[in-house]
Parts: sequence; structure tokens; C-alpha cells
Amino acid sequence: MTLLSDIISASAHLHSSDQLPSDEYDRQIRELVEYFRRLQSTKSLHSLANDKSVLDPLLGATLVKDAMLRLDPSCAVFTSNHLLLVRLCLQAKAYSCVLPVLNKQICHFPISLGRSSSEPSVLCANNGSSVSFMTEASGVSSKLSYREYLQYFLYGGMVYMALKEWRNALHFLGIVISTPSTSSVSMIMVEAYKKWVLVGLLKNGKLCSPPSITAPHAVKVYQSLAMPYIILAHAFERGDLKRLNAEIDAATGVWCADNNVGLVSQVVGAFFSQTVIKLGKTFAALTVADLSKQVFPSPVCAEGVGSAVSSLVVSRALDATLVQTKGNAESSMLRFSSIHSLPRLSHELDLQSQLRQEMRLMESLVINLGETNNNLGLSDEYVDGLNKGQVWSGSSEVNPIVGGGRLDLRWMKI
Amino acid sequence: MELPPLTMELLSQLVASNAPPSQLFEALSRYELQACLIPIGSDSTLLSLFYSSFFLVHLLTDQLSEARALTKRIPESLLQQDPSLQNCLTLLRAVWQTQHGQVYQILRGLPWPGILQPLVRRYEGFFQDKTLIAVSRSYEAIRLATAATHLGLDEQLAKQEDPNIISNFTKCGWTWDPESKLLHPKPIVVSPTEPQSSDGIRKAMAMLGTHAV
Repeated sequence: MTLLSDIISASAHLHSSDQLPSDEYDRQIRELVEYFRRLQSTKSLHSLANDKSVLDPLLGATLVKDAMLRLDPSCAVFTSNHLLLVRLCLQAKAYSCVLPVLNKQICHFPISLGRSSSEPSVLCANNGSSVSFMTEASGVSSKLSYREYLQYFLYGGMVYMALKEWRNALHFLGIVISTPSTSSVSMIMVEAYKKWVLVGLLKNGKLCSPPSITAPHAVKVYQSLAMPYIILAHAFERGDLKRLNAEIDAATGVWCADNNVGLVSQVVGAFFSQTVIKLGKTFAALTVADLSKQVFPSPVCAEGVGSAVSSLVVSRALDATLVQTKGNAESSMLRFSSIHSLPRLSHELDLQSQLRQEMRLMESLVINLGETNNNLGLSDEYVDGLNKGQVWSGSSEVNPIVGGGRLDLRWMKI
Repeated sequence: MELPPLTMELLSQLVASNAPPSQLFEALSRYELQACLIPIGSDSTLLSLFYSSFFLVHLLTDQLSEARALTKRIPESLLQQDPSLQNCLTLLRAVWQTQHGQVYQILRGLPWPGILQPLVRRYEGFFQDKTLIAVSRSYEAIRLATAATHLGLDEQLAKQEDPNIISNFTKCGWTWDPESKLLHPKPIVVSPTEPQSSDGIRKAMAMLGTHAV
């Protein structure tokens, strides 16, 4: 059998959920996933995408995704396969292929079993959580470092950017830029910050501050290394189209070198919509003619502006309504604070749907937190710490950790 | 279970079936693996029809960004030469730019292969329904001609205030003011796709109560 037929056969088998694969079949799947992993590590992203002798990345992505979801449907344990999958999907430009994995919450790293277990964990349906069998020793994942972790969330953010899911993209990029660091800052984090600035403009129309947990020294590094992006964001925020275009032209080389040309061009496209949204904070309603004067420095065709505003409203990019009159397009009114809002029932249905999603997320997090708590309780470090605590309590010396049992509780009253 | 090989007969059966768009999408997604192994020279017609169908199913399932990504996955030489794939690109541009009038022109006026006709007609209906909902929520008052353009109705007849055109809107609950010659849309409410349960909020609040401490 060739490798190609192996993959197609494997993929077809994985889709037929009523057939349980044999041990031999599982082994074959693992070998194929390992093959893709080696391929990824030996070839750069660019060369792999252009090398026709190598398998189509879409085939690889489909197989890896199916295998991952089969092995651990929750995908709660971060493995090297997560990174492999997201890279393959980016290469294949098959962005929605990775979403079943990307949309799941990662709560654990593969744990290392410090002491040899007499009864090794086995993979079976009754396992409460995948963290019990997705261990370092299981061979499911290769060794992970902070780099893989950062890359996964950066690439995941890029997938969401391609799908224009700006909120999710910001979330993923926020994870990268707020990763704890002691003194140095990874270049992956800097790249993520550059994209964070641009995605923030596209989503919120302003320069978004990094998440509050970001280390102050990291913020300083970001601000110095991403200066052209910050200048661009300031020009955008000021609503100065000429200045924005000038800044974009001045730093063309920077956008090209950072591979952010596409995002920057979208920022220009978003300028109109974001400016109109900002006008909504000042005005309750505007005619199309007045709106045109506010947004564009030089006169533009009223029909064009009317059509652009209509597109914004109809596509729900702008939360407003249009009131046409009998006359021409210029006399049409854009109403920001609309009395023509959707019936109350619609909002409640949306709210109920959101609550249900949040509830599912909370349930998943609670289960995984319990699992983490359990693992921490069984770890060598915790047991050692507990032993030391018992030794301290048995001696007359003062335990430096708990201060001889007299805890200073004043801070708890704050 | 082995996937049967991708053939013209199988593709035409799939496209003509009345399966829900999500099922069609799932089925064609699996065939994309086979399609990317077919050399362009050996069966370019099959490939062209497969990718065109898959593109239209992306639009039917409202995955515009992913439809755009699909056009980047189609072999460049095929994309540049094939007329139906060129139609898809033109359609993508019009939908992306929310040029509603152009979308109907492309769907109705461009030559689509016979095998794709069921999908083209389905998408036209889907796009019309989606636009009707969006327009009903976006306008408090709208000229008849503008509404007709959004929904692919005859603009000339609309300008003449044709009763049939007006009735298309009034049967959706919109009101027609003959004095101002404006339509007043009634917002159409669409419930979320998820099945609703009456005790959803109660469960959520109960859970918050359980885990809040």
C-alpha cells in the first residue's frame, strides 16, 4: 500500500464511527501522524507548501484532525499534534478544518508520571478525562516547549483572522502576548502583538491595550518593536484618512517584511465603517449627506456613500437603521439609536442561546479544574510540601510558610 | 466504510438531492480529498463541476470566508480557464461586496452548467430569504425600487408601483404608504439555530449558584 492510499483509507475508516479500529489500525494511524510531524519539523512552512513532491497538506490535516478527535474528543490536553494540525490547515488554506479542535478549551499539558506506576493508564471509554492517558510517556505528543505553545495560539489566531472571527482572533493573540516571561520576550510574542494591534483596529476601531496580566517589561518591548503599528493605530483612531494612508505608504516595507500586508489593507477598508460607528456615539441620527461630510475630507458621490452605508447596515456591521425618503439618496437618514429595534423576544432568545453556550463552557472548565486539582494533589511536589508541613508542625520551630500557625489575616479584611 | 469514487453520476446525484445544506457540505468535504488527487489533465470537467458545487454549498451554508479560502485551494490553471469557476469568482465578489443586484444578475444571467442548476436555484432562494430578513431589520422606511433591487425583483415594475411587487412585501407584514410611496418593513425574527428549552436560563442560574462559592 502506498502512503496516499493509507491516508485515504484511514480517513474513511475514521469517519465510520460504528467500526472500532483494531490495534494494528491504531498503530498505523499513529505512524502516519508521526510521519506528518517529521515532515513538518524537517521542512519550513513555505517550502512545504510549494513542494509538489510532498503530500497535499489537506490530506494530512484531515487525517490528523480525525485522529485527534478520535483519540481525545475533548482535545483538552495540549499536544504537538495541535500545532501540527493548525500548521497543515494554514498551508492547505482549509481554515474551517481546524475549528473542531481550535474551538475546544485546552486545560492541560501532558503530565509526566514521575514515579513508575504499577498499573499504567489504558485508553478506554470510561476514562473520566483525557489527562489520565495523554501523558508524556504515552508517546501521543512529542516534547513540548514554550515555543510550541506560543506558535499554536499565534497560528490559531491567524486561522480566526482568515475567517474574520476577530473576537476569537483577539482572544488567541491575547494568550500569546500575555504569556508570563521573566526577562526576555519571544519574537513570536512580538509578532502576535503586531497582529493584535491590527485586529484590534478591525474589531474595535481602536488600539487595544494588552491584557491586564501582561508583564510590564513585555509591554515596553512590544511598544518599541511595533512602533509603526502603533503610529498607524493612532492615525486610525484620530479619524484622519490622509494621515492613515501616509503612514501606510511610509511603512510599506515593514508590512511586507512582517507578512501583514493583507491585514493592513483590511484596516483601510474598515476605516469607513469604524468612523461611522464612532459617529453613532455623538449623533442620534445623520443624513447621508451630513455623514459624507463628516467622514470624507473631499466631496464624494452621494449614491456611493448611500450604497456603502446600506451595505454596512444590511450586513449588521453597523447597529443602526436607515430611513429612506421619497427624495434622493442624500436625504436618507441613518438612525443610530433606533426605535425600530428588534422585538424583545429576539434579544431574549439570543441571550438564552449565549447563556447555554457559557454554561457548557463553564461545565467543561469545572470538570477540568477538578482534574487539575486532583493531579496537583497527587504530584510529588505537593506530597513533599505536605510532608515538610507535617515536620514543621511536629517541631517547636516556626514554620516559615505559615508563620507558626498564627496567620496574618488582616489582608483578608480588605 | 470506503468512500465510493468521485464520478460525474455520483456528483450529479448529490447536487440534485434535496439533502440539507449541512449534509451536502459534509459529503462534498470528504470528496475534496479525492478531488485533490485527480490530475487536472485527466478529468478537468469533473474537477470543475466538483469545485463549483462545493463552492455553492459553502455559500448555501453561509460560509463566505471559507468559500473564499476554497477558491485559493482550487488549482490555479483550472481556476483561470474554467468558465463555471470564473462564474463562481464573480459571484463571490458580488456577495462579498453585498452588491445584491449583481448577485441576482450573476445567478440568473450567467451560463451555469446544467448539473449545477439545482444548486444555483437553491442558493438564489437562500440568498433572497436571507436578504429579506436583513432588509426588514435594517430599514424603517424603504423605497419600493430599493427593496426590489435587494430582493432581485423587477426594478422597472417597482418604479411603476406594480401591485404584484407591492404584494410581495405586504404579505410579509410590511405596510405600503401610497402617499409617501414608501414601504415600512416589519422586522423578521429568526430564533437561534439551537433547539430551545424552556428551562435554559433556570439551569444556567442554578449552575452559577452551585459554582459561585
